[in-house]
Amino acid sequence: MPGYVQVNSKVVQVPVAPGREVLARRGAMLAYTGQVTFRPVTAAQGIPGMLGRVVAGETVKQMVAEGSGQVFYGHLGLHLTVIDLTPGESLQVEADRLLCHDASLTSSVHFLGQQGGIRGAVRGAVSGQGLFTTQLAGDGSAVVLAHGGAIGLQVTPGRVVAVDPQAYVGHRGQLSVDVTAKVGWREAVGRGSGEAIQLRVQGQGVVYVQASEQKF
Amino acid sequence: MDAPLSPVTLPVDDNINPYAFCVDLQGEWFLHKGKMIAYYGQMRFEALTVASVSALVAAHFSSPLYADDWVVATGVGKLVLGDRGFDINSYDLDDGNLTVRAANLLAFETRLELLQSIVPGFLTLLGTGKFLASSNGPVIFAEPPIRVDPEALVGWADCPSPSYHYDGHWMTQNLVGLLRGAIGIVSGEERQFDFTGAGTVLIQSSEKTMADPAALRMMEQQITALSQAEKVHLHRFLGTQLTQ
Amino acid sequence: MARFRKNGSRIVEVDLAGESVKSLAGAMIAYEGEISFKKAGFGGGEGIRGAIKRKATGESLDLMECTGTGTVYFAHDATEIELVPLASETLQVESSSLLALDSGLKTNVTFTGLRGASAGQGLFTTTVSGNGVVAVLSDGPAISLEVAPQYPLVVDPDAYVASKGQLTQSFVTDVSWRSAIGKGSGEAFSLRFDGSGVVLIQPAER
Repeated sequence: MPGYVQVNSKVVQVPVAPGREVLARRGAMLAYTGQVTFRPVTAAQGIPGMLGRVVAGETVKQMVAEGSGQVFYGHLGLHLTVIDLTPGESLQVEADRLLCHDASLTSSVHFLGQQGGIRGAVRGAVSGQGLFTTQLAGDGSAVVLAHGGAIGLQVTPGRVVAVDPQAYVGHRGQLSVDVTAKVGWREAVGRGSGEAIQLRVQGQGVVYVQASEQKF
Repeated sequence: MDAPLSPVTLPVDDNINPYAFCVDLQGEWFLHKGKMIAYYGQMRFEALTVASVSALVAAHFSSPLYADDWVVATGVGKLVLGDRGFDINSYDLDDGNLTVRAANLLAFETRLELLQSIVPGFLTLLGTGKFLASSNGPVIFAEPPIRVDPEALVGWADCPSPSYHYDGHWMTQNLVGLLRGAIGIVSGEERQFDFTGAGTVLIQSSEKTMADPAALRMMEQQITALSQAEKVHLHRFLGTQLTQ
Repeated sequence: MARFRKNGSRIVEVDLAGESVKSLAGAMIAYEGEISFKKAGFGGGEGIRGAIKRKATGESLDLMECTGTGTVYFAHDATEIELVPLASETLQVESSSLLALDSGLKTNVTFTGLRGASAGQGLFTTTVSGNGVVAVLSDGPAISLEVAPQYPLVVDPDAYVASKGQLTQSFVTDVSWRSAIGKGSGEAFSLRFDGSGVVLIQPAER
């Protein structure tokens, strides 16, 4: 979709028009020109909606920009990466790394954890052993946040990539992401106590990793 | 490692990289405390409150509120400045005016005049000369008409001081937002600085602002003027803010 | 020897062919291939004696060793990285600025002289010597400044990252300088370098 301009590594300029509304994280608007209004929305689809009472911190407050103009978005000076999706492709991004995206994209929430299902999600979210990701699909663009910028690592059959979950930004393509615990991993990712999880990415696609072992 | 720089090869009054700047000191510069990271040559740094500061310097720095955070760098040599890893840019004013957030102003030539803006937290520079400002992320230049999140604003030149714009739509759609509007503002979507006229607006790449020590001093001054009942109310408000 | 390569300015990729690389514990963000991780002590290099030296001097360096075949990606807190090759040389470096180093390099703790009271910095510093590459952290792109007999250099200790060469370090503590220190910083002195060599600084204060 024409329009998302990366002004610098930390700011994007997004056009807003009738029929082309933009969903963004609350507080991410830096400036705007034209006639644009902002309306808060609550993300109530998928697992977080159901777990809302259990996992209060997992839902990111969002707002929708409507009208006609250009909005400058940025957040805490974090680096931004614009990802353009094509129809038929889906992008999975860690839930609170999504800065903004075209409202026309379909979004659903997936939980990456050792146990599947709702109970797995609850246990995982409570114990910190999993990740909530937002899956976006359709024709449009999305902007993701990363501490220090993100690089894409190619994943090909036969070449598994292991990723520190705190550095995981997102992935696209035909990939399966398994969450496992590994001996010695705790040393590698520097966790003091508790079991540490590792993401093992296999298949064909790209996994995005940020330049920091601290999430933000 | 790149070839090391020396006093001969360091840039003269220019950026070394986006986060560091080299001033070719030949005389005096006003400098924000703590921003020197290295220097070659002979230099002296004196606080503005020291008695030896000349009348000329005193006349050019009319802001007792901020004087505490500034020193005068005197000498000859190459002075390397950095500010917490923030982007640094130099600006040349040519018989111009620019108002910049106090926490973002790094250094300026003593021939420029500094005044305190009526917009809290901002300083106005007048005249001809060079100054340095830092920002969280690169500075974006834009022209009015534009509305800016107050926390993302770095400064403005030539155009009139901004006014507040309240997003009524935001407030009415959200009952909590309406209540908050009465108590205090939570995010930039509710209230922005509105710029009109001819000029340039400087925006930083983040809504995260740098701490301004003078803001606390200003508040302390204002608090002493409150009544007993108002102070009790403020004490309670502060309590809730600290637990968030 | 392991091959070090920067990917952008904040990630370093290290290719291992059955060898090891030491790094700051926890700094691995991803890897490919068969790599095993284990604690590598506190970087004293001399086993127990090294560990005791670190505990006694307050110089802390929590290292881990990565061994195997594949590629390991390191990063720390979105901080910029500078690769410093050493050819039978010694690099003096702030322990908090060390990210990764060839396992063949030796680390040690040395006495640098009286620095006076300051938060977090003692009388000792970490040295790395031998042949190999050191990945050094810098908050903002590092700047390397030359020191020569005709131009000594004065540096804010919170911006100092590393140095090498024939340098003597001394302390500048005159009263006028103290006024230039910001309210937030704890340093009431600066470092002066005389001699011949190179000093690496970062454009930020710790």
